[in-house]
Amino acid sequence: MDDLLQHFIVEAHELIQQATDDLLALERNPQAAAPMDSAFRAVHTLKGSVGLFDFAPMGIALHAAEDLLGALREKRAGIDSHVIDSLLACIGQAERWVAGIEQTGDLPPDAAEEGYRLARALRSQLDEDPAQAADAVPQADLGWIEELMAQGPDWAALRAQDRPLVAIRYTPRADCFFAGDDPMALLRSVPDLMAVRLSPRDPWPPAAEIDPFSCNLRIEAISGAELDRVKAIFRFVPDQVTLREIARTAQEPASGMVLASGAAGVAMGAAGGAGARMLRVDASRIDRLADLVGEMVIAKNALAHLAGQFDDGLDRKRISQGLLASQAAIERLVAELHGAVMDVRMMPMRDIFRRFPRAVRDLAGQLDRAIDFSMEGEEVEADKAVVEGLFEPLLHILRNAVGHGAEPESLRLEAGKPVRTRIVLRAYRDGDRVRVEVEDDGRGIDPAAIREAALQRGIALADDLDRMSDADALDLIFAPGFSTASEVTDLSGRGVGMDAVRSAVERLGGQVSVRSRPGQGTTIRLSLPLTIVMTKVMAVRLGRELYGIPLDGILETAFVPASRVLPIRDAEAFVWRDRTLPLVRLADLLGIQPPGEDPQRLKVIVMAAGDDLVGVAVDGFAERMDVLMRPMTGILAGMPGVMGTTLLGNGSVLMILDIPELIG
Amino acid sequence: MSVRLDGDVIILEGQCRVEDAEPLLGLLQADRGRSVDLTGAEHLHAAVLQILMALQPTIGGTAGDAFLRDWITPALVGKNPVGSDPRGS
Repeated sequence: MDDLLQHFIVEAHELIQQATDDLLALERNPQAAAPMDSAFRAVHTLKGSVGLFDFAPMGIALHAAEDLLGALREKRAGIDSHVIDSLLACIGQAERWVAGIEQTGDLPPDAAEEGYRLARALRSQLDEDPAQAADAVPQADLGWIEELMAQGPDWAALRAQDRPLVAIRYTPRADCFFAGDDPMALLRSVPDLMAVRLSPRDPWPPAAEIDPFSCNLRIEAISGAELDRVKAIFRFVPDQVTLREIARTAQEPASGMVLASGAAGVAMGAAGGAGARMLRVDASRIDRLADLVGEMVIAKNALAHLAGQFDDGLDRKRISQGLLASQAAIERLVAELHGAVMDVRMMPMRDIFRRFPRAVRDLAGQLDRAIDFSMEGEEVEADKAVVEGLFEPLLHILRNAVGHGAEPESLRLEAGKPVRTRIVLRAYRDGDRVRVEVEDDGRGIDPAAIREAALQRGIALADDLDRMSDADALDLIFAPGFSTASEVTDLSGRGVGMDAVRSAVERLGGQVSVRSRPGQGTTIRLSLPLTIVMTKVMAVRLGRELYGIPLDGILETAFVPASRVLPIRDAEAFVWRDRTLPLVRLADLLGIQPPGEDPQRLKVIVMAAGDDLVGVAVDGFAERMDVLMRPMTGILAGMPGVMGTTLLGNGSVLMILDIPELIG
Repeated sequence: MSVRLDGDVIILEGQCRVEDAEPLLGLLQADRGRSVDLTGAEHLHAAVLQILMALQPTIGGTAGDAFLRDWITPALVGKNPVGSDPRGS
């Protein structure tokens, strides 16, 4: 794929997102000027970029959207959800097209038809456009092209030749003769004319009252020349002419449309300046990196100075002091550099949050629920992998909130709630975690219903269910198999259940929980690490080997006298803080021959394995460290029980174990 | 002069400019029975053309100029290359 196209794709995604944001903002506040201007600019720029490639149907649809936005901007009225719907439909299709282009390099075969359909839908909303009204044309906006085409030569044969056609409507100003214009001379210079229709702009007055110096003509024509050549001819009268390119592939050429209109001027090329956008990192962060590298150079020079002093035979004490100072400086810089590089990987939640209002709006429309959706904490940052990994789980949770949480309006009114269901998506920092919540004030989840469903679906036994607290029962919504096929609908897309949400969040190193009160609403809460790049691990010794165990699962380390280990059949257990915990030996888990006989005191790590606690016996505790964990790749990727590896200071590899998985 | 009267026939010749519109209008207003001959016309300024369209005199002669012959004369004599039935095809 060539560079220009790649830039286009990156830019298009941004512009589409921008336009979507702005349209949704407009829907909330139709009078707001900023989103209107911004949406217009985004669509205009996108249309211009599209024009650089052979994506005519996309250009046609976007041009119609631009014209509609332009008309709305002039008029400041008529912005209702219907208009926004059709604009969003166009933008949404553009988004799918861009995704398709990203994969295949081209538009799908049905794009032409879809492009015209969208453009027609958008144009039909232009009815009250003042420009069109001034035209005083009673027929539908593009009916004139149809009429022109209908009686022309053998269009079918022309289309077969793959010729682009340009429809021209030229309505000279009444005083154009005084400006020296001769509309007939312009028409004569149009290359490759195929049809001409002349008509009076207004009905002719009686013969005695005709003003020979006032132009009252309307000239319509079709040319087989390229749009640009035709445009060039009318370049001095852009306000009086409308040019439409009629696609050669469409079924109905007559209703074909628009590549560019004279009035809108020549599409702006937007390729310039797009190149810098590939890397989306706040410039200040790059500056900080550059500063740190500068300091690093200074620290390195200090070392060179010290090395020179060696040669001069300076005393050891001063040199060792210098070395220590230099080492301290470099250590500090490396730490800062590391932090700065991590910062580069941080991205704000906004990058995924901004896609949700549109999604929620669509869902609400499909399910006919009135939703009042808001977001907080879009600026909260986390590692790129965490933020991007949250999109699908959150989308699923939001779907549930709309599809299952929100009640029909009548029920809400009966319950004395506001008509619109409030759904809040919220992110905030909590220490070194990021918390993301989806809160609704809908019908809530009834624990009794969950118990019932869990029993029917064989998720849990009746006895267990009876013993469960309501909170634990609610948690069953995350159990695999809880969402059943009967709930799967296209609308809420419930092909996957909340168990998929839980596993997606856990893959990111997070947890998910639910809180709900029937009739009051539901809150789904995710807790995620700020970064999944740095992992705190505790190193443990087994024989002469070191292994890492993620610290976040470890509750504490304990010394257990061998005499306190209770054999239970072929397993072992021990008592810890008045609880009996199963004891497993790391050597057994890893299938390593235990070295000799048991020590008098076992070194045990108490940690969580799923919902239960377990003690893991090791040979020794080593230090805790922050490591850059590299996930297993290639043929090792599927290796069970190992989360990843990291390099230790001495160059050896530390394997980081997934104890719960090892226990299975 | 590109507009001249020859009996009952108004003859348009050569390049008919904007200033020819008023004389043409005068000639036609004076006698609506006059016809117009375009045989020698090389170009009709829009101002001239719209007089012909408004007053609809009988058009005689076939213009030698291809543009006038193919596109403009048919419009004047009511045989627009594009007719009146938009759904005709």
